[in-house]
Parts: sequence; C-alpha cells; structure tokens
Amino acid sequence: MRPNLLLTILVAAALGGCQKSKVPVSTFEVMVVPAATVPESPTDAAWDKAPEYLAKLIPQDLVEPRLLVPSTPEVRVRAIAAGGEVAFRLEWVDSTQNDLARPAEFVDACAIQLPAQVGPDVPAPQMGETGMGVEIAYWNAGWQASANGRGDDIQDVYPNAAVDHYPFQAASLPKDSPEQAAMAARYSPARALGNSVSGPHSSSVQDLIAEGPGTITPADQTTSRGRGERTELGWVVVITRRLPQGFSESTRDQVAFAVWQGAQEEVGPRKMRTGWVPLAMKEAS
Amino acid sequence: MARVYNWQLGREMSYWYPEDRPKKQFAAVFDINKCIACQTCTLACKTTWTSGKGQEYMLWNNVETKPYGFYPLAWDLKLLQMLGAQDWKGGAYPGETLFESAPAGQRVMGWRPEERDYSYPNVGEDDCAGRIENGAGLAVPHLTWFFYLARICNHCTYPACLAACPRGSIYKRPEDGIVLVDQGRCRGYQECVQACPYKKVFFNPMTGTSEKCIACFPKIEQGLQPQCFVNCIGKIRMAGWVSKPEDARADNPIDYLVHVKKVALPLFPQFGLEPNVYYIPPVHAPASFLHQMFGPGAEKAVETYRSAVDDPDLGGLMGLFGCTEKVVPRWKRSGDSILGLEENGDEIVRVPMREPVFIRQAFDQKYQIARTNCP
Repeated sequence: MRPNLLLTILVAAALGGCQKSKVPVSTFEVMVVPAATVPESPTDAAWDKAPEYLAKLIPQDLVEPRLLVPSTPEVRVRAIAAGGEVAFRLEWVDSTQNDLARPAEFVDACAIQLPAQVGPDVPAPQMGETGMGVEIAYWNAGWQASANGRGDDIQDVYPNAAVDHYPFQAASLPKDSPEQAAMAARYSPARALGNSVSGPHSSSVQDLIAEGPGTITPADQTTSRGRGERTELGWVVVITRRLPQGFSESTRDQVAFAVWQGAQEEVGPRKMRTGWVPLAMKEAS
Repeated sequence: MARVYNWQLGREMSYWYPEDRPKKQFAAVFDINKCIACQTCTLACKTTWTSGKGQEYMLWNNVETKPYGFYPLAWDLKLLQMLGAQDWKGGAYPGETLFESAPAGQRVMGWRPEERDYSYPNVGEDDCAGRIENGAGLAVPHLTWFFYLARICNHCTYPACLAACPRGSIYKRPEDGIVLVDQGRCRGYQECVQACPYKKVFFNPMTGTSEKCIACFPKIEQGLQPQCFVNCIGKIRMAGWVSKPEDARADNPIDYLVHVKKVALPLFPQFGLEPNVYYIPPVHAPASFLHQMFGPGAEKAVETYRSAVDDPDLGGLMGLFGCTEKVVPRWKRSGDSILGLEENGDEIVRVPMREPVFIRQAFDQKYQIARTNCP
C-alpha cells in the first residue's frame, strides 16, 4: 500500500472519530438547509447548522482510463440554500497539497454533479447519458491558487525561470498594448481559442455540462463560485451554484461528488466518485 | 478495441478505434546518413511554433545522438524495457504492440516523463557506442559508432495519443492525416503525453493543455513543406504522401523510397502505431541496433542505399531532397535530370543527376592576379 494512501485512511479514521458532536448528521441524503444567505467561506459558522452527509467514494473504474487503486475514501458534505442558490461544502482528507499542474504533476480537485433536469428519471451517474445530461461544477486547487493571487503566468509556475526573450516582448511592441496581446495569443493557441482551462483564472470553479463519459463541455458561462481552503488534514471547499429549477421542499433531486488527489496522479477520469446521492430541501422553520 | 490492419507489422492488430485512413497521409523520408545534427531544423520549428510561454522546454523537432542521446531522457529505452523482448518472424511481427500490451484500466501502455527528463536535450551528443581500443581500424559497420536521429511527430496512422485521450480532443485530419490536439477542447489530462511512445506531445504548464507538432499544416495546405524540412541545410528530408503498399505508385517519391525500394523504414514499427516518418538507416551502425529501431528490413535498406550510386533512379531521386520548398507529389527521371512534378505533371523543379564541375584556376590569366581561395 502506498504510504500516502495509508496515511489518508488513518487520518480519515481519526477525522471520523473526532467528529464534532455539534454538527448534525444526515444519514440517507444530502439535506439542503434554507438560510438567509449562502455562506461563501468554508469556515462560516452557518455551516454548523447544516447536517453533514458522509459520502463514500469509489474508484472510477467503468471507462478507460480507470482508477484501479482507491485513494480518498470519503467526502463530508453539507449544503445551504438561499436566494436561488445552493452552496455545497465538501471536506476531505488529502495529506499533500497539489495546486500546480506541470508535466507529470497534477492538482487536487473536486466536483459536484446534478441532473440537468429535476425529475423522477435520473441520468446515469457517471457523467450522464445522451439526451439526459448533467451539470457539473468543478473546483481546481490550481485555479484557486491563481484566484488567490498567485497568478498563472510562467513566472508563477516556475518562479526561478529565466527566459531570454519572447517574440511578443520585442521592443517594437508597446507593453500591454493590444498589438502585444494579439501577438502573444498567437503563441498560446488554447487561450486564443478561449479554452477556459487555459486561464488566466480569476475563479476556482468551472461550470460544465455532459451527456456521458468523455463529453464534458464548458457551459455557456460559469455562474458558480468556489472557495477552497487548506485544512490541517486536507481540503475544505465551498461550491455555490444556482438552485436547480423545480427543486424545493416538496421535490427531490440527486447529487454526486468526485474528488481528485493530484499526488496520486488522479486527473480526468482517474478519480474517486460517488453514485447519485438523494438531495432534499429541509423545510424552512 | 477494434481490429485494424497495420501493414508495417504484416498483420491485423488491436486499436481503440476502427480503421479509418485519411484520403491522403502526410509522410516524410529522413536520410539519417546526411544529418549532421546542426539543429537548424530544431530552431526553425522552435522559432516558428514554440516561442510562447509554457513552451520553453518543448522541442516538437529535436535531433538526438544514438545510442546515448534521448529527448526526453531514455524515451525509447524505457518503453522497450516495458514492452519486453519481442521477435519479428520474417517480415511480420507476431509480438505485442503498445495497444495489445496495455495494462488493465488503460488504453495504451506508456509512461509519463517528468520535468527532469526534458532537462537534457543534448545528453549523449556525439557520444560513441564504445571506446576506440588500441589497434582499432576503420571498418563498416564501424566498431564504434553513433548517428543522429532527427525526430518530429510521426503523424501515425494509429496514433496512441489519439487513442488515449478520453475526451476525443485529438483528431487525425481526414484530408491529410495530420494529427492535432484541439486546443479549444483539451483539458490537460496528459494521457496523450503518457501514451505517445515517441514523446512528441508536451504539456504546457502555463495553459494547462497539451501541444504537439502540427506538421506545419498551414504550409502543407499551400503545398509547401514544413519549416524543419525546408530549413535543413543537410537536405536530409522530403515531405510528401505515403500510400498503402497495395496502392503504392512508383512515381510518388515517398512511395518509391518506402514501398518500391524499401530503403526508408518506420521508427520502432513494433510499437504498432504505423508511424509515417520513414528513415533511411545509417550505413555504419550495427545491424542488430538498426533491426531493433527500424525493423527487419534495416539491413536490406542499407544494402539498397549503398547501391544507389549505381542506381540512376534511386540515386537521382535522392537529389530531390531539399531542392524545393514545395511538396513534390510526383517525380520522374529524364535522361540525366530528375524532375519533381505536381500531381498533374507540371514541373516543379529539375535537378541534374550530377552537378556540373567547374575547376576554378588559382591564377586569373585575364587580370593577371592570384585568386584568394575564400567563398
């Protein structure tokens, strides 16, 4: 067994044993608690009133490339809704902080997934299926670091990099001019094409849609927000998205979660995930 | 997995997608014997395509010294070791390809280079395969040897990068067989980096996407050869189109070298990708090494190449390398000239079989002055 994995399991067990008794527990579903506002911070005291659901994670082993060695065993989930939004707080154990994607290096990440339509027929839990799509809000530790101020220029990725010259930094091109930006874009095709993966990142979250494995596509725009913080044991992340249309105290929905550990080379389909978990709205008291 | 036919292996093999060959397949022939590792090709590519941020370490084109040069480090040795000893039987390969030996949960057997593996692009440069011992004489193949291996993306018929991408961000163009990473769709999983045995897909750490050689497709679309071809001062390269063996045409220069004369061979065909850069093996390296690198036709290819001096067609065709920026789809010999032709037969370029020789006298009789012998 890999040392990191062993440590993760031991710490997870410890975390489970030390669970604060004041936090209510939801056993069978993720219970969304209505509130006046959604807390943006993972450490907001409002979270203490939201019941915690312990979501067991399983390796994604249905489509290649599969994850064959389990890593993160579980993610603790709480949810609060207000003003047409729902915030999910995800907390999991991860002994290493990985927030820089470089060759053969990957970042920590998590995601929440909901059916595109609230209804009795739910899509396949693994990224949905043709005609029955899912909506995903994906949080990335690297994007969080960028949004926190690290930036994602090459000097941010490699602080000690010494570069002689880039063509778009020629003296003939005024600094920060549109001409310079246009030329720089020619040397960065992903950014030139507007690939939201390629940055620069001002948000740690991206909204995606999918209709099956391998089909995730950025939503027309990302309206979800995210904030992740490092804890002593791992990560705690709040992802806030719009409340699914038609979801209320009288209806039920589904939600699924996924976690990636960068240190375990988890990326894309190589992830720990849940199946669908029932999602219910607590009646306002 | 589908079953597809790989003519380089002489058999069907397993591949992630069904066989779907392009209308035309971009291909190239590199004459290793002429390469001097000046790296002009490397710089031509670097200045054209990879001068951006996050591309600093990328060499879509590189030239490495064999046997001890690698970029990235030990790219071929690692994979050969992972694949294990395999055999050719005659001209066919019953051994396992990278697709057929894929570990559980993966589409292709591969490995992912780390940063430090890219840190020594000139490692092993000009290092000989052995020491020159006392009393060693010059013989062919050389007792101690090295040669230069210029490498670009092979724009494979069965690309491992394409097979490995779980979200279809890599595609092979139906019009010319060029393999590209869709920069608008890539999410930087690096599965392609792991899968490509030639390690010609690179992760851009600033944009978080993977990038690769594009065969200078904007030039190809205009009928022009890529930058690394036209800037090659050794004139070792020729770009064109390769056919399946049964469709080969003797008046297609690439087909002639690959299929008719069989003097140009794929790089590590046993990997199973049907790569489309073909190499004329070096005449001075040991047969066993060439056999491993280029397959069982290596010895015969060397023999054929050495006979080119007595073969006006083959010898003449070698003169077309590097003589025009245009892609030459057809050719013919006419007397003492080799003609590069368009598809419709229009002449692109005419090259003499033998360059005329002029002897420049050291003393200029007309002006009664000694000529200095400088360029």
